[in-house]
Amino acid sequence: MKSKSFKGGVHPSCKKETTESLSLVRAFPLTKTVWIPVTQGGAPNTPLVKPGDSVALGQKIAASDAYMSVPVHASVSGTVKKIETRVVTGNVEVPCVVIEADESGTTDFMQPLDPFTCTREDALNRVREAGIVGMGGASFPAHVKLNPPKGSVIEYFLANGAECEPYLTIDARIMEERASAVMDGIAIAMHITGARKGVVVIEDNKRNLVPVLERAIADQRSNPVGAGAYEISVQVCKTRYPQGSEKMLTKAVLGREIPSGGLPTAIGCVIQNVGTLVAISEAFRLGKPLVERPLTISGGACTRSGNYIVPVGTLVGDLIPDTVTLADGVAKIVSGGPLMGFAMKTAAFPVQKGTSGVLFLTKKETVLDEESACIGCGRCVAACQCRLSPVLMDRALQADNLDESIRCGLMDCIECGSCSWVCPSRIQLVQRFRVGKQRVCEEAKKAEERKKLKIVCKGDN
Amino acid sequence: MAPSDKNEIYLSSSPHSLTPVTTRMIMLTVIGTLLPVAAWGVYLFGIPALVNLVAAVVSCVVFEALFRKLTRQDVRIGDFSAVITGLLLAMVITPVTPVWMTVLGSFFAIVVGKEFFGGLGANVFNPALVGRAFMFVSFAQPMTTWISPRTAGGQDALASASYADAITSATPLTYIKPVDGVVQSAAEIADKSGFFSSSEVYLSYFFGHRGGCIGESAIFLLVAAFLLLLITRVIDWRAPVAMVVTAVAVTFLAGIDPLLTLLSGGLVFGAVFMVTDYATSPVTPLGRIIFGAGCGLITGLIRVFGGFPEGVMFAILIMNALVPFLDRLIPRKYGKLPREKGGQA
Repeated sequence: MKSKSFKGGVHPSCKKETTESLSLVRAFPLTKTVWIPVTQGGAPNTPLVKPGDSVALGQKIAASDAYMSVPVHASVSGTVKKIETRVVTGNVEVPCVVIEADESGTTDFMQPLDPFTCTREDALNRVREAGIVGMGGASFPAHVKLNPPKGSVIEYFLANGAECEPYLTIDARIMEERASAVMDGIAIAMHITGARKGVVVIEDNKRNLVPVLERAIADQRSNPVGAGAYEISVQVCKTRYPQGSEKMLTKAVLGREIPSGGLPTAIGCVIQNVGTLVAISEAFRLGKPLVERPLTISGGACTRSGNYIVPVGTLVGDLIPDTVTLADGVAKIVSGGPLMGFAMKTAAFPVQKGTSGVLFLTKKETVLDEESACIGCGRCVAACQCRLSPVLMDRALQADNLDESIRCGLMDCIECGSCSWVCPSRIQLVQRFRVGKQRVCEEAKKAEERKKLKIVCKGDN
Repeated sequence: MAPSDKNEIYLSSSPHSLTPVTTRMIMLTVIGTLLPVAAWGVYLFGIPALVNLVAAVVSCVVFEALFRKLTRQDVRIGDFSAVITGLLLAMVITPVTPVWMTVLGSFFAIVVGKEFFGGLGANVFNPALVGRAFMFVSFAQPMTTWISPRTAGGQDALASASYADAITSATPLTYIKPVDGVVQSAAEIADKSGFFSSSEVYLSYFFGHRGGCIGESAIFLLVAAFLLLLITRVIDWRAPVAMVVTAVAVTFLAGIDPLLTLLSGGLVFGAVFMVTDYATSPVTPLGRIIFGAGCGLITGLIRVFGGFPEGVMFAILIMNALVPFLDRLIPRKYGKLPREKGGQA
């Protein structure tokens, strides 16, 4: 199979060797306590439980009426100890429901539901009720993605197994061990969205998965009722960062570009991460809400690393030293991949639905150089696969010229970090663009307020 | 918490892994490709070339360090960019330049050409060429006094027999320059400069056996340097290729032998080491092509019509001034339709 690709991007060394052959292992926090953030993707939730309540595994503990919200469920059975704020991925403090697990093992799952006979509304509602969000990292509510705006015709459903971030191997393990669940999830998503073609997209460093995936497809097709009725294929792409971003997936696989500011649905595409698809499959077949998630824990400072399935809300620090062991010399703790992840101050942060990995990096692995002067080499321009001009965006920002920065691509930046990765002067371009985007939003808000004010003044006259 | 207690944990924005290629490595690569060219210059022109090379490099580094110290800025000679400026400056002057002029030129290059603009990456004009232009207009006569290389063939060989008398020998450009609008063919030039055939002229020039600046004549080393810099991805092919192609095309239209255009003067040196200077060339792909083509066009026009035999220096300095405008030629952004204007969101 020929590998498809896109122009630009970068090629950091993969560093997947340490964990790529390690099977998924279930792990439980040492303290038997989970800290479940009340909101994990979508609009803010309010807690449905109070301290002292006993909860069952899978019981809804926080929800909201907003369409853009998804509920959160208890990931262990036990007693709610307190509701307290805690620093989570992204270094923000959010309220968490703290549950201490007991031995009762009571569960509160939904009834299984046949996705191919129920109505579309019921199916979308099931995905939402199961609390499913994008598990690749963005935590976008899955039911919203599966419900494209009226009028858009969906042709392709892409299952994102590219996993272009170095170190992370969790999507690869999911595809290897849960291939049939992935295919079932794809069929369900195709059924809901009306897509005619399903494609599993992987990078060519995971070529060994092609036969596994193709066998799973053949098995599913052997019974042409329900899930077997859907046409699914595998597409290999070149190993190149950021292949896993939606914009690059559609570009490489279909040769189509998502319009600026638009959604993949505008070009007839819906995309979900492979982990999300397993969760969707389980939500229908087992009635199981999203209460646990697989993740890779790796990095040069890990003496024992691996791919684990843990209850949502598990503090990463609580997995040390029973599940993961560390050597001296941890310089950075990263939630997510090394290119787009967040640096954390301590390991005592909860695993959320969108946490695909946690890395413990040594000083040598993570560069701590100071920024130096821009030499104008233009490497960032060549690296930007969205064909933006990072150095010019930055210069315009420094000159306080937001319009020029936007013309050079500020608002089209996907913050993938390719430009920062190649910068020989170590300039933190992505960080500067994040700040720049915030400034653009603030300016827009101010302009709006001024407009309102003007109208009010006119009204007074 | 075990890990955070034992270690110093750093916080920073993503990405957390970066390319191993740093500014210093890039600069060292450029120096690595410049040194063989410099060595060849010393081989061709002897001790005066060596003295000028050392003088330029040392004074560039010293002037930069002094200036930054006096203006209370951090001294960053560790990035080796001043070394490159020194090497480049020495390579585009005649080997018999008096050393004090070279030192003065270095001062002008570093202080006026680079640091007055804000130092590394902030300068508008190529510092080495600013220094050369300063020397060129201030000391016109010594700066255009050439010597034949010790290895010269043809008529020059006779001249260089008595080394000291070799001064004021002509460079190929003097032969090529149309005289009263009459262009000379390669064969005529071969005849005039004492070669037996035009192919002998080509070969001799290709290896730098001709009068000229210290570093510009060793075409074979310059081509090797170009390839090496391309492979190591230090430079982009667009500007140099556009410059050479345009210059050759323009002079060819004027009837000048294209091979001689390539092999004479500072065209190849300028294309490989001057138009690829990061700070003073555009960053966008289209901008680079137009920048290179503009350099080639002006070079060709000066060579054919101008009052000077060589036009590379002025061509690049003129185009340097246009870089901010060329940088406005950004590529079509992802997800924008071609007919849509780039700026509209």
